[in-house]
Amino acid sequence: MISNLAVGVGLRQPHYAEVFERRPALGFLEVHSENFFLDGGASMRVLERARAAYPISLHGVGLSLGSADALAEQHLAKLRRLVERIEPDLVSEHLSWGGVGGRHFNDLLPLPSTRDVLDLMSARIDRVQDVLKRPILVENVSAYVAYRDSEMSEFALLAELVRRTGCRLLLDLNNLYVNAVNFGTDPLAALNELAPAMIGEIHLAGHADTDAGLIDTHGTRVCAEVWSLYDAACRRLGAHPTLIEWDTDLPALDVLLDEAGIAASVAARREVAHA
Amino acid sequence: MPDLLACEHDIAGALCDARESARALRWLAGDAVLNERRLAIYRANAAAATTKALGAAYPVIEQVLGPSAFAILAREYQRMAPSTSGDLNELGAALADVVAAHEMGRSLPYLADLARLEWAAHRAYGAADAAPFDARAIAQLPAHRQAAIRFVWAAGTALVVSEFPIVRIWRIHQAGFDGEFSVDWSTGEVALVAREGLRVAVHAVDRGDAAFIAASLAGEPVGAAAERALAIDAAFDLGRLLTGLIASNTICGYTSEQEP
Repeated sequence: MISNLAVGVGLRQPHYAEVFERRPALGFLEVHSENFFLDGGASMRVLERARAAYPISLHGVGLSLGSADALAEQHLAKLRRLVERIEPDLVSEHLSWGGVGGRHFNDLLPLPSTRDVLDLMSARIDRVQDVLKRPILVENVSAYVAYRDSEMSEFALLAELVRRTGCRLLLDLNNLYVNAVNFGTDPLAALNELAPAMIGEIHLAGHADTDAGLIDTHGTRVCAEVWSLYDAACRRLGAHPTLIEWDTDLPALDVLLDEAGIAASVAARREVAHA
Repeated sequence: MPDLLACEHDIAGALCDARESARALRWLAGDAVLNERRLAIYRANAAAATTKALGAAYPVIEQVLGPSAFAILAREYQRMAPSTSGDLNELGAALADVVAAHEMGRSLPYLADLARLEWAAHRAYGAADAAPFDARAIAQLPAHRQAAIRFVWAAGTALVVSEFPIVRIWRIHQAGFDGEFSVDWSTGEVALVAREGLRVAVHAVDRGDAAFIAASLAGEPVGAAAERALAIDAAFDLGRLLTGLIASNTICGYTSEQEP
């Protein structure tokens, strides 16, 4: 069981040896599920060692829950096998699609927030939770385009998904901020659509600022605006297990631990205030 | 869900080909010029995902070509054999064929075989761990039954045959290689790719050994496989070969049909 005050980092290959050597005091480790869709070998051994030392969060990036194609049952079967093998504390996926017509873009593409998509996602999440025999977390994604046909806000859709399926929200505050800037909306308004019990995990990450908009790179430190959004989220929604997510231009482990330390102090301060 | 299907199809079309953007734009809110630039972010993401996944499976090809030529090859791969799975471990099976059909493969003729070797190593990396094998029971069998046994090979074990010295090329590109960088281009090599514990090992094997391994991997009994090897190389030494393959756990079991 991961405490609400737990802060974790993504476990990435260049840090494997150092994490096992130093055993930093972290609340959990998160890995991309698909990196461990393997029968055996060195990577699986690493994940099993990590599992013995820390609570584990399996974060999926390839299930393409919102694809208009049929659900990728083979992919789900691989996830089920990994979940049975690792018995993680958290399992998460995204409110997104990754491909259609058999073609996969291996990306987290945004969905229109329509009643049809709500129905589709509800059915898909029900199926995933039936197969995995456990509730999952569903993450809000960063987006560079928005849809004409959207009938509700992204977070109204997510809140309804939580209500219908019993899943919880993986609230990615960097994605929320990136979208707020890209589409000129108020990130705090989204927090008002949520209640503390809906949240299962929070993600914090860095992004790149380009002249076409903010791009979610997971390649820098968390920016000041996202830290203040985190502070606001902890105040309104309480502390929740929080991950420092860093995937590109990976820095020294100490930089991740430093970011994790900042998150832990914000969460501890606000948890007291919230209680 | 006809609308979502049409919407995703149109966006997918625009991600595959920028000239198809107009169909995607009709689904999007906001400024069309900006949306076109934003679709390009997704197009770049898909390209980067393919390059990264191929680089993970083909680190030596990436070193040989350098990052910019490798990125060009990755674009060609995306065009010829686009990703069909959310599991990127699966991406790259067709690289040898894509290389062979491309100008790069014609100017570097060993590249396609090197790709086959790296794909075999990639598959072996994540293959199931082999159970420990105590081979002493084989010695207890009468001679005629020994010849009839079939070996069980560790998952991921593969042979790659080439007219180029692919094992040597692979070896000098490994991290920490500190020997001579010379390559004798006059000889071909057969690579045995196999997991040894958690490590992926690549060994050059001679033609007799290769004939035995290929036959045994294909399920032939030991006696028949050894005869194939002897037909190619009269000096084939089965005992020496088996000692090594059993010690490395590459051979990790056997099956023997019961006598009636």
